[in-house]
Amino acid sequence: MRFEFTPEESDFRRQLSAFLDDVLPINWHGPADESRDDHWALNQQIKKGLADRGWFVMSWPKKYGGADSSPMMNTIFAEEMAYRRAPGHDRFGTRMLGPTLMRFGSETQRTQHLGAIARGEVQWCQGYSEPNSGSDLASLQTRAVLDGDVFVINGAKIWTSLAHRADMMFMLVRTDPDTAPHRGISLLLVDMKTPGIQVLPIINMAGVHSFNQVVFDDVRVPKANLVGDLNDGWRVGMTVLNFERSGIDYAAWARASMEELVDYVRNDESLVSTIKTNPDVRSKLAGLSTDIEAARLLCYDVAWRQGQGEVPSSEASMSKVAGTEVYTRVLDYGLELLGMYGVLEPGSDQAELEGRFLKMRLFATSGPILAGTNEIQKNIIAQRGLGLPRAPKR
Amino acid sequence: MDFGLTETQELIRSSAREFLADRSGPATVRAVAEGDAEAIASLWKDVVELGWPALTVPEEHGGAGLSFSDLAVLLEELGASLAPIPIVESAITSRILERYGPDAIKVELLPQIATGDVMVTPAIVERDASWEARSAAVVATRTGSSLVITGEKRFVSFADQATHALTLVRTDDDGPALVVVPIWKSPGVVQTPMKHASGVPVSSLNFNEVEVSPSNTVATGGEAVAATEELVAAGGVARAAQLAGLARAVVDSTVKYTSNRQQFGRPVGSFQAIQHHLAEMAVAAKQVNHLAHSAAWSFTREDYSVRRAAQAKIAASEKIPALCWTAHQCHGAIGFTWEHDLHLYTRRALAWKTDFGDPAFHKAILAGAMGL
Repeated sequence: MRFEFTPEESDFRRQLSAFLDDVLPINWHGPADESRDDHWALNQQIKKGLADRGWFVMSWPKKYGGADSSPMMNTIFAEEMAYRRAPGHDRFGTRMLGPTLMRFGSETQRTQHLGAIARGEVQWCQGYSEPNSGSDLASLQTRAVLDGDVFVINGAKIWTSLAHRADMMFMLVRTDPDTAPHRGISLLLVDMKTPGIQVLPIINMAGVHSFNQVVFDDVRVPKANLVGDLNDGWRVGMTVLNFERSGIDYAAWARASMEELVDYVRNDESLVSTIKTNPDVRSKLAGLSTDIEAARLLCYDVAWRQGQGEVPSSEASMSKVAGTEVYTRVLDYGLELLGMYGVLEPGSDQAELEGRFLKMRLFATSGPILAGTNEIQKNIIAQRGLGLPRAPKR
Repeated sequence: MDFGLTETQELIRSSAREFLADRSGPATVRAVAEGDAEAIASLWKDVVELGWPALTVPEEHGGAGLSFSDLAVLLEELGASLAPIPIVESAITSRILERYGPDAIKVELLPQIATGDVMVTPAIVERDASWEARSAAVVATRTGSSLVITGEKRFVSFADQATHALTLVRTDDDGPALVVVPIWKSPGVVQTPMKHASGVPVSSLNFNEVEVSPSNTVATGGEAVAATEELVAAGGVARAAQLAGLARAVVDSTVKYTSNRQQFGRPVGSFQAIQHHLAEMAVAAKQVNHLAHSAAWSFTREDYSVRRAAQAKIAASEKIPALCWTAHQCHGAIGFTWEHDLHLYTRRALAWKTDFGDPAFHKAILAGAMGL
């Protein structure tokens, strides 16, 4: 056992941090709001900067423009980006679709898409959830019917993050309605400019346009855009989710928020400075910092196991549950400390910490819900991790 | 980062599992809890032969010179089996002797600790149950060529098995000191069992004008404060590692029980309500395990991380007793019986929650380390 980073890992974290010092605006606290044009421009600029330094897809193999970096390095990358609340992501492309294309994609698909993702030139979105298919994703209804050399898509996707900014979508569609739900699904790549696609904004409870409903009306997509085999999309698409599930972003956001809170409490100018010597406050902050460290170690454990060639499914679920839970608890406590000032919206002249904690707390509601609700994650931990029996099929 | 075991650690784990399965089953744990001192003595004799008390004693003093991180692997197994033996007590006191004691004490005691001829248990806490280094009321008065010790220590583990107590005292100049006091058949030392929920012997020690040589002093003043803080930190991390092992055992047995127990024509473990209880237990167990090993790893020969030590004990103390209560809920009525072994784990977890500082104590330390 060894609980410290290698000199190479620490050095990389420092370099990335220095790059972010340069590229982020002075006094940047984030989080980025991708519906704002200035933040979106910053997102694109940082993507390019990361790509130029070989970091944007460093987890990828060298032959696809990556650096073959270790899972631990990738975790450090994700952690540092989240810790700074930095924009500059194409998580759908770099973390999910890229690795999936490497495994299941055709040579043409790899040539066409991997380079563009690696250079930070394209933005992807993920079309999985539907109005009637959330946790029960396999019940999805969006139809794709083969008509010669094209699939014709009809239906709707929902909760599609960044669909309004994306160039491309990878989506699950039903290609065989007459078989078991899992067996009639395929994964398609779709250009968002294809006629018949309509992106309808959904404003989230934090007041931000982060996700959308995407309606497909006779959208014609080349057959060559099928990833993997026809009707094998469940297997292909679930591989994506395995890449998606990690708690490191949340653990890092929690740590950043905790540090912000500790600084604020210690600052004599703050409206709540008198509470810094309150033993209850000290004790609560110490307890939360313990749980942040616990969540963080679970994420490192996942990375370490990946480095050993394992596919740590249960551990990844643990990290997601622990990360999202501790992040919301830190923000809850931040709001409690800020008291009446905590409920002032960003833009209020009297808001403390620019109203960030309120906005982040409202936003963080999505953590335990998205990418597999925490209840689903607990099913995975219980069944795949602990080997508990599944419920009998009705 | 490396969450894997080294070859040495693999060996420690496998030999400990084999030995403890054979020698420290529930029957032994129950016998000791009911006051069978013979059972401890016989177990301790075998443990000495396995070389466990020598594990972390430096090689130059006749030990195996292994790290605290290696020790934590053993402690996990001791926790999982509820083994009623004073390895933690012996390991942390020998660390403090080695780090803070004068050479004469090291040369005399450490080799004997390694061979099991000497066992030193910490005697820190008094009537006010405080682990604070400056809280001692037991006095050590310089009289001629002797130190004369008077007062009562409480919550001393395995005092009956120990030859010496590493005792926190107040000196003539009102400062703290750590003194090695021989307690084995020592005139003036009266032991009284405290009937502790841990199921291992925990006593109060009454020192009635006990004379020791001033050369038994390990540290005084600021050094004694630092040594006591380190002792409590090390003890807390050791308990956290034991609690991690205990939690693993409780999760495993609860998975086994709920996978077999049938109601409504299916295993109760196939119900989501039970699965979510167990998933949360598994997350807590793993978190405590990682925090404990991360903290243990920080205990090098020269240093340790105050933060990590506090975090490990806070998490273990808060999460593992709670995990045990949830295990009782998953077991239903059978887990509420005296006959079922689950309460042995619950009692031990509750006892270890407060040993070497409860969550409030360690949160105060951690808050300080965070700059609050």
